[in-house]
Amino acid sequence: MEGFFSVFTFELLNSGIRLATPILLAALGGALCSQAGVLNLALESKMLLGAFVGILAAFYLGNSYAGLLVAMIAGGLLGLLFAFLYHKYKVDLVILAIAFNLIIVELTVFVMRALFGNVGSWSDPSIERIPDIQIPLIHDIPYLGPVLSGYNIIVYFSWLATIVMFIVLYKMRAGRHLRAVGENKSAAETVGINAVLLQTLALVISGALAALGGAFLSIGHLKLFTRNMSNGRGWIAIAAAMFGVNHPVGVFFASLFFGFADAFSVRIQNVTDWPPNLVKLLPNVATLLVLIIIALRSKIALSMARRRFRAQLHAEEAARPAEASS
Amino acid sequence: MKDQRLRKLLDAILVPVLAILSGLVVMGILILFLRKPLFESYAILFSNGFGCKAYGNCIFITALERATPIILTGLSAVVAFRSGMFSIGQEGQYLLGAAVAAWLGYAIHLPPILHALVLLIAAMLVGAAYGWIPGILRVKLGVNELLATIMLNSIAALIIEYLVQFPMRADRSTAAHSPVIDESAQLMSFLPGSKWGVGFVIAVLAVIVIYIYLWRTKPGYEQRMAGQSRRFALFGGIPSDSAAIRAMLISGALAGLAGAIEVMGVHRRITTGFSVGLGFDGLTAAILGQTHPLGVFIVAILFSGLKLGAQLGLQLNLDIPRELGGTIIGFIILFVAAGKLYEESIVRAREWSARRRARNLKGEAP
Repeated sequence: MEGFFSVFTFELLNSGIRLATPILLAALGGALCSQAGVLNLALESKMLLGAFVGILAAFYLGNSYAGLLVAMIAGGLLGLLFAFLYHKYKVDLVILAIAFNLIIVELTVFVMRALFGNVGSWSDPSIERIPDIQIPLIHDIPYLGPVLSGYNIIVYFSWLATIVMFIVLYKMRAGRHLRAVGENKSAAETVGINAVLLQTLALVISGALAALGGAFLSIGHLKLFTRNMSNGRGWIAIAAAMFGVNHPVGVFFASLFFGFADAFSVRIQNVTDWPPNLVKLLPNVATLLVLIIIALRSKIALSMARRRFRAQLHAEEAARPAEASS
Repeated sequence: MKDQRLRKLLDAILVPVLAILSGLVVMGILILFLRKPLFESYAILFSNGFGCKAYGNCIFITALERATPIILTGLSAVVAFRSGMFSIGQEGQYLLGAAVAAWLGYAIHLPPILHALVLLIAAMLVGAAYGWIPGILRVKLGVNELLATIMLNSIAALIIEYLVQFPMRADRSTAAHSPVIDESAQLMSFLPGSKWGVGFVIAVLAVIVIYIYLWRTKPGYEQRMAGQSRRFALFGGIPSDSAAIRAMLISGALAGLAGAIEVMGVHRRITTGFSVGLGFDGLTAAILGQTHPLGVFIVAILFSGLKLGAQLGLQLNLDIPRELGGTIIGFIILFVAAGKLYEESIVRAREWSARRRARNLKGEAP
């Protein structure tokens, strides 16, 4: 048990924030799509694509930042393809997501083996990991500094993306239109909002964000690519988006929760002799519990709304005879 | 009457067949990208997936053996999908079924046939229980069953890895595995040197039973109605909640059965890395097989042949990565999902043939 408590350190905070980043990026994309009324279950495949394309581009272009950019473009293009198949051919988005999950898992390994021989995972010494950056003033704040500073650019970008998404969705016209499309597509169309364009945009941005999250895994956190590297994080991101009620700030904290669950399970393997496979269960069990909480929450919200509605009806009925008499 | 039925059948298989052909075209493109001989690759893929070298030395037999778990997990997905549950939890149920069969296979000792029966039933019960969890969560609380089953799959995979490495481990060898199950619990194979046997017969029986259940019995009808339209089912007095739970129990039992057969007929124990995505293959077979038991049966055999051809033929002979097989299967699902891509051309072709027939009739009339 002594070993158990030595888990809680500054490093846990740091690695929790790091591991939350890929989930946060993908979850922001998922939330954006939900707000626009399209179900994006393909975050996992977009993430994996980003991880692979990112490290490949970093290798061939000799610059890891260029790798990030190419990964985002690839994810955006996949999002565009989704939007095209969804709008033009009315393809079922769930089956599309399952198909692409399988294609990307297998195709990334296929291309890796075609290019670099029969290997299980691939890396090259010439690839540089995205460097950590200390933010000058913030870094010097006691206690808080080391928690808020010392990450690579993707982590800061994910924070920025949270803020930007909040502003766009709730303070700008385009965001209001997007949410209107999500509320009621045909009603939004009758007032002249281009629903197809907004949904396409949401899918493209969400693809780019998820792919950046994937690239964080391959060139931001580690420096290699392995089969199925995203390892279910895309699915966890969907749960995180739901947990955060599709609101950027809510999604931010939901992702942090999953990031900590992940970091906790990694760190506890180092300090205790608990069986690693069982400790690795933690993020999955946490996700399942969160799914149950989400369901309970919406159920309670529904019954509260029903009760309010009934109370209102009673109040109106009680008021009516009074009106008639006066 | 007969004509109509034929038309319906053709309609049902047209899109999958076109999708498979498109998948093979994608395969050609990938092979050209690798600068490998195109036609030789196709020949090797088919001869190594479906061919026969001599009597008793058939790769097709191996394809049938490998198809067995895919048929069962595919049926599992069919039962769930038809009842409106988008469960992709076959992998987890399959793994737990396999673990239970492997454990009871060496932990208890019973006379031959009884032992095998006990294992099969135990695995089905465990699979059903694991399928019940997302079912009850969906019905009582409205938890999204797709996400819940994905999480349950990873949980099952990690539990299996733990069991194999610690409590059920046979010895301290480098690759952890459980002890070999008793001979009384092993399923017989039909040919020496092959593992194609009783398990396949069970899978075929399951195809028939599930078909009869879903299309010829009242509970099966209730399940399909609940799947097609929840509101219609409620209006017609069908308890759609209990239909959904029943579907998840049956679906879980089928996947658990698949795991038990894989242990009892093929591996005789569980090892690390026992999970190789067979549950996911079943899901694919269900989608491509038009969520029909017979469709699943055909597609499962086709899949295992394609995978074998890619693994034994293309990888060994031409040094093409075996992931090609999985990639093609992914593209085939994509093309099935995008069935509308073909529909336009199908409609056009039909109009053309109708016009031609009309012209022929006019020609014959005078």
